[in-house]
Amino acid sequence: MMLRFASTIYAAFIYGFIFLPVFVLVLFSFQASLFPIPPFNGPSLRWYAAVLADKRLIAGLGNTIVVALSTSAMATLIGFLSAWGFARFHLPKSALMRGLITAPLTISYLIIGMGLLVFFNRIGIPKSLLAVGIGHVVINMPLCFAIIYSQMGDHQANMERAARDLGAPEWKVLSLITAPLLWPAIFASFFLSMTFSWDEFVISFLLTRFDTTLPVEIWNLLRAGLNPKTNAVGSLVFGVSVLMAILFEVFALRKRPA
Amino acid sequence: MILPQNRVAWASVSPALGWTLAFFVLPFAAMAAISFYPQDGSGPSLLSYAQFFNSPSYYYALFNSLEVTGLVTVISILLAYPFALILADVVPERWQRLALTLAVLPFWTSYVVRSYSWLLVLSENGLVNATMVKFGILSAPIQLANTRGATIIGFVHFFVMLLTLTIYANLKQLSPNYRKAAADLGAGPIRSFIHVVLPLTLPGIMVGAFLTFVLAIGDYITPQILGGNNELLMPQLIMMQIGRRGDFSSASALSIILMLVVTVAYLFCARWLKIERT
Amino acid sequence: MKTKSLLSSISGVSFAAMLMFSALPITPVSAADLNALVWCDHSDPNLLKPFEDANGIKVNVKEFEGTGAGLALVDQSKPGDWDVMVIDSIDIHRGVEKKLFEPLPEDKLPMADLFPEVKMDSSTVIDGMRYGITEKFGYNTIGFNKTKVDPADMNSFAALTSDKYKGRIAIYDYYLPVIGMAAMSIGKKTSELTEADLPAIKEVLAKMKANAKAVTDVASSQTALATGEADILVGGGEWVTAGIAKDKPELDFSIPKEGAVLWSQSLAMFKDSANKEMALKFIQYVMSPEGQARLATSSCYWGMPSNTKAALNDDQKKILRFAEQPDFLKRAQAYPAPNEALDKKMQDLWTEMIQAK
Repeated sequence: MMLRFASTIYAAFIYGFIFLPVFVLVLFSFQASLFPIPPFNGPSLRWYAAVLADKRLIAGLGNTIVVALSTSAMATLIGFLSAWGFARFHLPKSALMRGLITAPLTISYLIIGMGLLVFFNRIGIPKSLLAVGIGHVVINMPLCFAIIYSQMGDHQANMERAARDLGAPEWKVLSLITAPLLWPAIFASFFLSMTFSWDEFVISFLLTRFDTTLPVEIWNLLRAGLNPKTNAVGSLVFGVSVLMAILFEVFALRKRPA
Repeated sequence: MILPQNRVAWASVSPALGWTLAFFVLPFAAMAAISFYPQDGSGPSLLSYAQFFNSPSYYYALFNSLEVTGLVTVISILLAYPFALILADVVPERWQRLALTLAVLPFWTSYVVRSYSWLLVLSENGLVNATMVKFGILSAPIQLANTRGATIIGFVHFFVMLLTLTIYANLKQLSPNYRKAAADLGAGPIRSFIHVVLPLTLPGIMVGAFLTFVLAIGDYITPQILGGNNELLMPQLIMMQIGRRGDFSSASALSIILMLVVTVAYLFCARWLKIERT
Repeated sequence: MKTKSLLSSISGVSFAAMLMFSALPITPVSAADLNALVWCDHSDPNLLKPFEDANGIKVNVKEFEGTGAGLALVDQSKPGDWDVMVIDSIDIHRGVEKKLFEPLPEDKLPMADLFPEVKMDSSTVIDGMRYGITEKFGYNTIGFNKTKVDPADMNSFAALTSDKYKGRIAIYDYYLPVIGMAAMSIGKKTSELTEADLPAIKEVLAKMKANAKAVTDVASSQTALATGEADILVGGGEWVTAGIAKDKPELDFSIPKEGAVLWSQSLAMFKDSANKEMALKFIQYVMSPEGQARLATSSCYWGMPSNTKAALNDDQKKILRFAEQPDFLKRAQAYPAPNEALDKKMQDLWTEMIQAK
């Protein structure tokens, strides 16, 4: 009983700590006056109107979605292919190559971004969303590889062999047998990549010029003064993200025939 | 069952390998090269590194980073472990998913905005100070924002969530039989925790700790927004080199030094970080 | 059936991946746009939109803080990527030395309407040619909260290093103006600083830092004063107090007896601009009375328009202390303008100040 009571108190404390900044963020997004600090004198929707009227923020949102979708798809695709290749075939220096592919996981985004900035600058690739996309695949592909590779078991291998024995060509085996069996891992990879790309700041900051992603636009906004507009855009991003998470839950938890 | 190498095998792994070589290894090589060519155009030398080792204001940035990251890692583990334990053991099975989802929910707000929110919470007229003054805990507001403490709070907020997830996952993988066995052998809950559960969740802790270390030591936003520039951490010093002077050589040298530090941490944790197939 | 739909979704995803990835724009700028390298006050739609609408053009802006950062961005670009740049008036020579800028036609600009003190011909005219025109100016001095400090104390830089205001100060995070203020507080001229002056300046900075709660950028400087985080901002001025004067009338700035550091931003045109005609039009627009008023009251920060005929209303003029300018200008000194070697030393001095425990 004591333990249960102490647990409840502790969990409440942690939840309080975790929710505190979000609560303040959302509350003061409805502030009527110029500063998002107490006393609260709302509610007002003026800052939401200001966000929706801000073309740069809306363009940033669009860019972020395009970058997140395309880089996640790319990262999942090549991550899946390589995970399958390493799991199914005996390749020389396999451990070394796997180490190489997962190496970016242990490097700070800042350093990856710096490297790409120096490199692109040298070979003449201009700052652009494409440059950011390349960077996001660098950070997300190792993750996709690691997740999918860890789920590659003998179970699927046997089914693949059965299909091969029945005369299926390799690409059919891969797409009709392997991918469906690994669907949860593939989906998780894609979704995680989306999450990281959606929220990534420093690579986008270093590698873009005018057209940039939402986190960088928010940073610009933040640099232009303490402003409930920042609260409003933060709250909107929060709302959209929660919605996506709920959709994910519903989709991922949907009962599937075994 | 493993098949011998063939063209299909190489075709399947080459996109990933190629991408990594072209956009990770090559950029890194370019960065390494440029770090030996100081900005003043004086030709190849170790000047950019010498600057780091010779000026206290530079190498203190690394000390600061290590101190902050170390504190963040330890505090986050200490806060997250009991929480993960409660989620895994005390919360009824059918509510666990919801409880976890709730714990992760705040992190769906933008990462840049999260630090900014803490600034609002911790500022002199912010919620924490206002509440404490109102209830007489403080006679006057104290400085919470723009301090190392604020940076640490901002970091801990994120990493408690991350560590809760890794430790919870680890706890759920433990077979309840272990604890039953310990109880059958006469161990009380505390002994069974210390001798059975804790060692078995060490991998989860280490994976979380390593992730915390890597992500925190390379983060620019949190200290920049919350630290009030009362001290510089490595990422701030690196960004300063590009942002203020366009000094890519120094920035590259500092990045490489930071990466070496992370590599040491990696080697330390390597045995827990192997990616194994099921 | 199940596998079939999965197959199609997987191939769909792969196809979409390729397609979308190749569609990520590599060169987002069209040649018809005007590409401007600016300070944050130029991103205000209230300033840009009238120009965009009148000329049927899009103005792309990239913000930076500090000349070093701006020139670094130019270094990372191709010739022709940029059309106009906002730059500290005293730093125009750095762009000219790099052969970046195009001379401006004085006869097409309202030179006669500018405050004479901010034309700054010694910086903006090089080898007889005008490379920049001052568009906005103001002071790096003491910004403060009238209700929290004794305004009489704000009449001297000595207040910044005395114990009286310990723990109530924030320092604006830009090394040049604050180093200039530190120099003036010990009786040195900002235009004559050499390496030999740095140790004495370092001492002043160290005392300021010991009194300071935070070293803050443009935004967090405003925040610190507005939220009561700090009562005094070293390096503050109208640029931090004027924009929020309506909500925070208790914020003010002083020009103390030692004087103040004059900041002055200029517009310059790039030599390699593919759109020089439009670039000149933009400069003319910003320098026009309407453009000047919009720039002076831009959302990022307010500042004095350099054109005396700026179409400001009386309220705005009062907030900017328009009438007092002749006296202020007389007592102000320009930003320190160090050469590259001294500049690096000053930046290192600044880093040391931040890292000081």
